[in-house]
Formats: sequence, structure tokens, C-alpha cells
Amino acid sequence: MGIKLYKEPELKSAIMLCGWPGIGNIGIIAIDTLRGVLKAEQFGEIEPFDFFDPRKVIIEGGLLKDLEFPSSKFYFRRIKDKDLIFFIGQEQPTDGRTRYAEGQKAYKIANLVLDVAERFGCRRVYTSGAAVTQIHHIVRPRVWAVPNSPDLIDEVKSYENTILMSGIEGRGGQGIISGLNGLLLGVAKKRDLEAVCLMGEIPYYLQGAPWPYPKASKSVLEVLAKILDIELDLSQLDELAKKVERSVEEFLETLYRAEGIPSQIEEEIERLRQAGQTELGPITEEEQKRIMEHIDELFKGEGWNDKKHL
Amino acid sequence: MIKNIFKFSEQPHFENPSLIVGWSKDAGQLSPKVVEYLNRKLKSRSFSEIELAGFFSLGGVAVENNVAQFPEGRFYYSEENNLVVFKSSEPHFEKYKFLNAILDVAEHYCKVKELFTINGTVSGVAHTSQRSILTVFNQEAFQRKLRGCGLEDMNWEGPPATSSYLLWVARRRGIPGASLWPEIPFYLAAGEDFQAIKLILSFLDKRFNLGLDLKELDEKIRDRNEKISQLREEDSEINKYIGMLESGLSLSEEEQMELIKGITELLEEEG
Repeated sequence: MGIKLYKEPELKSAIMLCGWPGIGNIGIIAIDTLRGVLKAEQFGEIEPFDFFDPRKVIIEGGLLKDLEFPSSKFYFRRIKDKDLIFFIGQEQPTDGRTRYAEGQKAYKIANLVLDVAERFGCRRVYTSGAAVTQIHHIVRPRVWAVPNSPDLIDEVKSYENTILMSGIEGRGGQGIISGLNGLLLGVAKKRDLEAVCLMGEIPYYLQGAPWPYPKASKSVLEVLAKILDIELDLSQLDELAKKVERSVEEFLETLYRAEGIPSQIEEEIERLRQAGQTELGPITEEEQKRIMEHIDELFKGEGWNDKKHL
Repeated sequence: MIKNIFKFSEQPHFENPSLIVGWSKDAGQLSPKVVEYLNRKLKSRSFSEIELAGFFSLGGVAVENNVAQFPEGRFYYSEENNLVVFKSSEPHFEKYKFLNAILDVAEHYCKVKELFTINGTVSGVAHTSQRSILTVFNQEAFQRKLRGCGLEDMNWEGPPATSSYLLWVARRRGIPGASLWPEIPFYLAAGEDFQAIKLILSFLDKRFNLGLDLKELDEKIRDRNEKISQLREEDSEINKYIGMLESGLSLSEEEQMELIKGITELLEEEG
């Protein structure tokens, strides 16, 4: 029980890129888009039974045809002189009590992913997720980068549009990366394996939204393209990002018109529109909490969960 | 491994028995009532019990109908009828491990030849209409074997029930199995549906030559039907709604709610 490999590709000093669902699906969209663009080939998977319950049964003519589980698949691709391994997980394993991976199952799956990384001689692992922050959705998201070793800080600093935790006002280099994106960094560190987590910024008022946030995935991909020294056609992602931005605009407009949120909160969100990326001071923690309470309430309501907004 | 999860109190002699699995909660109380009835009538003896830790949330107890509940998972055996019954709460965590543990006992300890799971499926059928036992098999050969037993093939795609998951795990082990899903009228789903309970017991009676006397259930069905008939005479709306279901028409959500309310009140009076 564990890893099933269909092929043993011969890889040298490979780089592993991991994606799971999370806030705005920023990480998984970034990594899976890269996997798709590079046409990586599947070579293995992690058997789901210990980690996930099935999500669909198919019964035809009285016969149980199939049971579908969330997949956790490995892919590989050689580009130029670089070997890449992709890991795409359709779900983060939880123990049923939390939203993100935590506890024994998370630790076990993180170890299985890194078993494959080590088996194929990986020298570096990248994970990707979301950085919830005070930006407006019209702003180009930056990428927060967290390496698992101080030796990587200088390299990470050289990435374009990227910021370390210490560069974020009020954080003093501290923070928490929830779920597998963080855990994998830690488990890799335990194995002396280099790892970096790249987190695309998402406006905090959208963290509970039912739609993806491809604009941040694009920022992550731009960083990865530089790291891997490849050209990527991200026009499809651009299209999707524009669509989402329009939906967010319409959503907020409707809310403002219907007075669905207090005018003070509207002003606070609009103040962010003017503030841009570099002025993160105008909203206090207390104000942010108040906005979130209102916005989360609205996203939980039936009317706004409708996917036709996308 | 089995002994880490199950505690054994007896070591009965098994002769390739059949296994019947029933869960403690079900539409129309079908699954628990069928299993309780079987165990009582067949004088089955418990021989093994599952360790709950790891599979259930044990942070307290749920209270239902004024009574504290607690999860359970217990195997029973009727030597005379060569039948093993597993009566259990559905696990909250580690389903795959739980289902494999059941099948470890079934396969290696009891050497079962086949398994049946019992569940009710909520339907728009009227209580007076002919009921079907919708069935899912995990092997074509087993499906062929049970042709002509009054079972109707099921078609469905969606989230799986624990029974379907068990059937799938059983297939991976080569154990033939079937899930029996009799239709339960939606307005009887909250209480006991005696008609559906009898339907399943009749099937099991025939299949395993159990010699069950189902008169007790016949009386309950007659009594229930009379009460609903009386309510239909007194309440034209309820009569209209059931009449529509009898004619194969569907009800609006509001109509369904009214029918459920009327019947639930009646069943509450029934106690």
C-alpha cells in the first residue's frame, strides 16, 4: 500500500513541483497548468485508500462498475537539460476534523511524495499555495517565497516579483504555512532536501470565495518560468484571470448597489484599490476582521455560490 | 491485525456462512430493524466486537429520543442457519481500514461465501404501491445467480454509501456481494417502514430458508395502513398528495413537506 509506479524514468537532478487544492486553488492551478503546458507524462500515483474516502460510485445495470477516489499522481518531463517531476493531488488528506491536511495522514502522504522525489534523485522541491493579504484584486499579486534553508535566501531574493516573509510589513519574517505546502517543506528539511514554497497573493476578502484566483497562479508561474528558464504561453490563464476579475467586480458592484455590506466596508475595499501593492497600512487588523465577517457571510449564502459567476 | 481491532468472545464453528451487514441508522429504520429482527428470531449469539477507538468520534455521547447513544460494531452468528450478521454504526474515520477489518473477520475467521448489505433508499413511491428492492452486485456471476429472486437492478452515479464502499472492497478480495436497497416512501423515512422491513426479511427468509414468521409485521403494516387511510379520509390534502404519488406524479417541495408533516404527526401519536 502506498506508491504505485508504472514507469521508472531515468532522471538526473530532477526538480519536483507539487500542487494541491487550497485557497483560490492558486498552487494547484499554477503547477497543473505548467504540467499541462509541458505535456508531462504520468508515471505513478499514491494509492488513495489510506488517505481519502471515495467521492463517487458508478452503478450500471445493477453492477458496481467503479468507485472514484481523489487522485494523487506523479508526472515527469525533460525540458532542455532539466528533469521535472510533477505531483498533483486532487485533495489534501485530512483526519475529518480540519480543512487542510494535518496529523498522521498528512505526514504520511508528505513522506510518500518525498520518497518518490528521493528515489528519482530530486535536488529541489517547490510547493505552491496562497498568501492571504491586504491587496485589491486589480493589483498584480506578488509571490511570497519561503525556503526551508537559510542557504536558499539569497537565491530566493533574486526571483522577480517575489518577497520573503521579512519583507512583509509587520511580520518580522514570521508566519505559518498551513496544510501540505508547509508540511512538505518541513519534511523535506528533515531529509536535508531543498524546498521552497511559492505563495501567490490573494485579497483577504476573496479567501472564502468559491472561485479560483488565477491571477496569483500566473504570478507563481512567472517565477517558476524564470527558475526553470523556460518560455510559457499563459494566454489561457490570462483569459481566466480576466474573467474572474470581471466576476469579482460584478459581485462587489452588486453588493454595493444592494447595500449588502456597510458603506464603511465598501470604502475600505475601495481604499485598497487606490493603495496598490506597496501601501499595506491603511486597514487595521480590526477593520480586516470586520470586512471578513461580512464577506464570508455573503459567500456562505446560496446566491453567491452559484458557479455561473465564472 | 484482526485481534487488534476485534475482540472475540467465542469461537463458533462456521461452515462457509453468508454475511448480512446492517447499519444502525437508516431510512425507515430498515437496516437496524431487519438486523435486530433477524438476531432475535434466529437467536444469534454475539462472538466478536470491534474496538471503537480510531473509527468513531468518542468525544462524548449523542442523545437521541432522550437516550444516550454509543457507536457499536458487533458480529453475531446463527449456527442453525449458518448466517453471520454484522450490526454496526457507520465509521466516522478510517473507513477503508474499518471495512477491511470487517472483511478480514468475514473472510479469514468466518470464511463467508457471500455478503449482503441492507439499506433503505428514499423514494417518491407511495406506501400503497408495489415496492422494489433495488440491488447492486459486485460481480456479474453473483448477479446472474440471483436472477429471478425479485431483485431489481439499480442504476446510479453519485456519492457512495458505506455499503457500496464495502461491496467494492469485497470485490477486490473476490467476495461476492449485493447491496439491497428497498424503496422507502419519503414520508415514512423518519419512522419505521414495516412494509420495507418485511420485504427484505421475506427475501432473506426465502434465500436462506429461515422459516421466519412475519405475522407480527403483517399486523403492524395493516395497522399503519389503516391509520394512514383514516388520515386520508380526514385530511383531503394528505389524500390528494398520496393519490398523486399513487398515480406516479411527483409533488412540489412544499407539498412534500406538508405530507411529511401530516404523516410524522400521525406516527408520533402512534408512538
